[in-house]
Amino acid sequence: MTTRQGNMFFDRVVKATPGGELLAKCLQCGSCGGSCPSGADMDHTPRALFAMINAGMENEVLSSNTPWYCVSCYACTTRCPQQIPITDLMYTLKEMAIRTGRYDHPRAAKFSETFIGFVEQRGRSFEAGLATRYHLFHHPQQVVKLGLMGVGMLRRNRLPLRPKSIRGVDQLQAILTEAKAIAAREVEA
Amino acid sequence: MSEPRVGVYVCHCGHNIAGTVDVEHVAEWALNLPNVVVSRENKFMCASTGQEQVEQDIKEFDLTHVVVASCSPHMHEKTFRNACARAGLNPYMFEMANIREHASWVHANDKDGATNKAKALVSAAVSRVIFHEPLEPMQVSIRPETLVVGGGIAGIQAALEIADAGYHVYLVEREPSIGGHMAMFDKTFPTLDCSACILTPKMFDVGAHPNITLLTYSEVERVDGYVGNFTVRVRKKAGMVDQDLCTGCGSCWESCPIRIVDNVFEAGLGHRKAIYRPFPQAVPKYPVIDVPNCTYYKSGKCRMCEKVCPTNAIRFDMQDEVVELEVGNIILTTGFKLFDARRVPNYGYGRLENVFTSLEFERLTNAAGPTEGKIVLRDGETPPQSVAIIHCVGSRDRNYNTHCSAICCMSSLKFAHLVMEKTGAQVYNFYIDMRPLHKGYEEFYHRIMDEGAQFIRGKVSEITDAARSPEEDGKLVVVCEDTLIGQQRRVPVDMVILAAGLEPRADAQAVGYMFGVGCGDTGFFTERHPKLDPVATVTEGVFIAGACQGAKDIPDSVAQGAAAAARVLGTISKREVALEPIRATIDEERCSGCRICNNMCPYHAIDFIEEKGVSRVNPALCKGCGTCVAACPSQVITGAHFTFDQLMAEIDGILVDVLSDQPIVEAV
Repeated sequence: MTTRQGNMFFDRVVKATPGGELLAKCLQCGSCGGSCPSGADMDHTPRALFAMINAGMENEVLSSNTPWYCVSCYACTTRCPQQIPITDLMYTLKEMAIRTGRYDHPRAAKFSETFIGFVEQRGRSFEAGLATRYHLFHHPQQVVKLGLMGVGMLRRNRLPLRPKSIRGVDQLQAILTEAKAIAAREVEA
Repeated sequence: MSEPRVGVYVCHCGHNIAGTVDVEHVAEWALNLPNVVVSRENKFMCASTGQEQVEQDIKEFDLTHVVVASCSPHMHEKTFRNACARAGLNPYMFEMANIREHASWVHANDKDGATNKAKALVSAAVSRVIFHEPLEPMQVSIRPETLVVGGGIAGIQAALEIADAGYHVYLVEREPSIGGHMAMFDKTFPTLDCSACILTPKMFDVGAHPNITLLTYSEVERVDGYVGNFTVRVRKKAGMVDQDLCTGCGSCWESCPIRIVDNVFEAGLGHRKAIYRPFPQAVPKYPVIDVPNCTYYKSGKCRMCEKVCPTNAIRFDMQDEVVELEVGNIILTTGFKLFDARRVPNYGYGRLENVFTSLEFERLTNAAGPTEGKIVLRDGETPPQSVAIIHCVGSRDRNYNTHCSAICCMSSLKFAHLVMEKTGAQVYNFYIDMRPLHKGYEEFYHRIMDEGAQFIRGKVSEITDAARSPEEDGKLVVVCEDTLIGQQRRVPVDMVILAAGLEPRADAQAVGYMFGVGCGDTGFFTERHPKLDPVATVTEGVFIAGACQGAKDIPDSVAQGAAAAARVLGTISKREVALEPIRATIDEERCSGCRICNNMCPYHAIDFIEEKGVSRVNPALCKGCGTCVAACPSQVITGAHFTFDQLMAEIDGILVDVLSDQPIVEAV
């Protein structure tokens, strides 16, 4: 088991992520940062974030916008020469940031919540609904500008207006309810 | 037989053992063990004083057996066996108890436990040693001829060293010429010597040497025998050219109408004919016919080469020839294979036309290459104005090869120099870590920085032709994180060179199996000891040198080639070698002839004697591994030094009550 003496944060991140122990083997090569479609918008590239985890900079890491800009494309994970589960580590960091209330980016967290809300309701994402609901609630002044892009996407059949649901949504919801209960018990423990 | 008299010596190994194990107590306790007449502790048993103590006690106490409790037998078994021999005791009447690797080092946090384990291990050794039998090493004679497999620079060096010392060498090479990868290069780092200028004199020496029989266009098919006495079967592929008549004039390949992309020597950038020699300085100078591509063998027509040959040297009906060689030693110098850059789809090799591999670039910049040394884009005429060199392609990457290929940092620096010198283009080196390790290498790195090459620290994530800005239009864009500033960068260039890594040859496993050499995790041949025996293998008389043992550059390959030659010359000058007498023997009276052991033996050491209906071990081939001993359903195979009695006594010994201070009753 990987441990960093005196660096409990590193150990916690590793432990909370399946395959996370590979984080100790990061070469700092930057193929994650180079591959990331959101890299330019991030406070820190994933590579830099891993160096900060290694340095025990818990506050800076959990308040970084980096995990919130991860779009789960897994480009970094497939290219990482050390096969570090980078995308999964981003989920761990998001979860830690929410639980400790240390994220500085309410917009990102809210976007995530809106997105998850649709998934819980229908079993899949619904882009048109996500965009309208998120922007109307959180920054309505952007709606006009983004609306134009929406119209363009509509015209190219990239933005279906009707939401689709999966079969057996009730079963998915039961699973999620149970999962949340387990997570809550774990947090208490 | 008189009562056995055992001497026990417990070593402190400085603090290595004494820091954890109570050495004094173990030595004192050992006196209670049956047959022990003297038991001592010593700071360093391997020092001359420790060895002299053993010798003195053997004489003074009339010892019949000796046990030393210290480090691993790999380290010092020979040392103490020799000490016994000097005092007139058969060296195999010695046994070693490993209380360092097996006790003090692994139980560093449990002093009592480690001490108790050390006692048990000493007891086991004492109990076992009295069943030891005197053994005599087996002497085998060494034939003075040597086989070298692979005609790259390592094999050339090894062959020349041995031949110059006055002994005969058979050099077998798969391709029509010796020279290997080095013959393809233009310049060599860090001195920028012309590769051909330093290689071809050696190639010529090999070709002309009276002590070297050169077997090019040939492959080893089978190896029998053992150290000193190998029989090797080599297939000489039919080249369809009579070498006694051919003068290498070149009329044949000049008139041959078939033009083929040369994927071997020209790395796919150039062409050769269906009758060809790989390059002008080839040794031997004779061409061969590439049968699958020759029109005559397809349609029965053409015969152009035959018509123009002034000495009538073409033999369309030539057959493969199989020769048997008798050699005493074998050196494998089979080299490496370049990583196939197509396996990294995000680098676009094979899809984006101006992405080149390192070997392609070597041919591009070589004066004898397809562009006569002009560095140009794939269109064959445009010189690049900016070039990116990508390090670690297929190396240091768990998705491909985990090892560092050792040469790419330096060859990338060399490429940077050549590009800047010949084209004046801006060069960007994309690296993870710079590793210019050897003499003069760091200085070369500084020189290239001085010449204006840019260094960007970051593993390239993608090479794309999808432009995002006017500057990127029509360019290859190298995308990476510049890790030193922590930001993404997109660098537009005209040409990309991929510094592809070094891999084991595709058939390394099969070749290793044929010669009794294993392949490690990375697939390269495994040396006997990574530090202290780097060119020997577990098979006596078979040595390895050059990039077949692991990725390495020319200086290291040459050094290993010479080192392997020195090892071979050592055995030749001794005329014979002593083999460990730890071998299996079959009791032929009781052998049922079931032949189960025959195929089990990993060293092909067991033959079936038809007329007697029994199996027999060839002692020179047997390594004493014990596989046959365990497999024999009639239990009639005995492994010398690992007899049933010895092993049972060892087990009895290890089971004594180490906490008791009472004298221990003999268990067996």
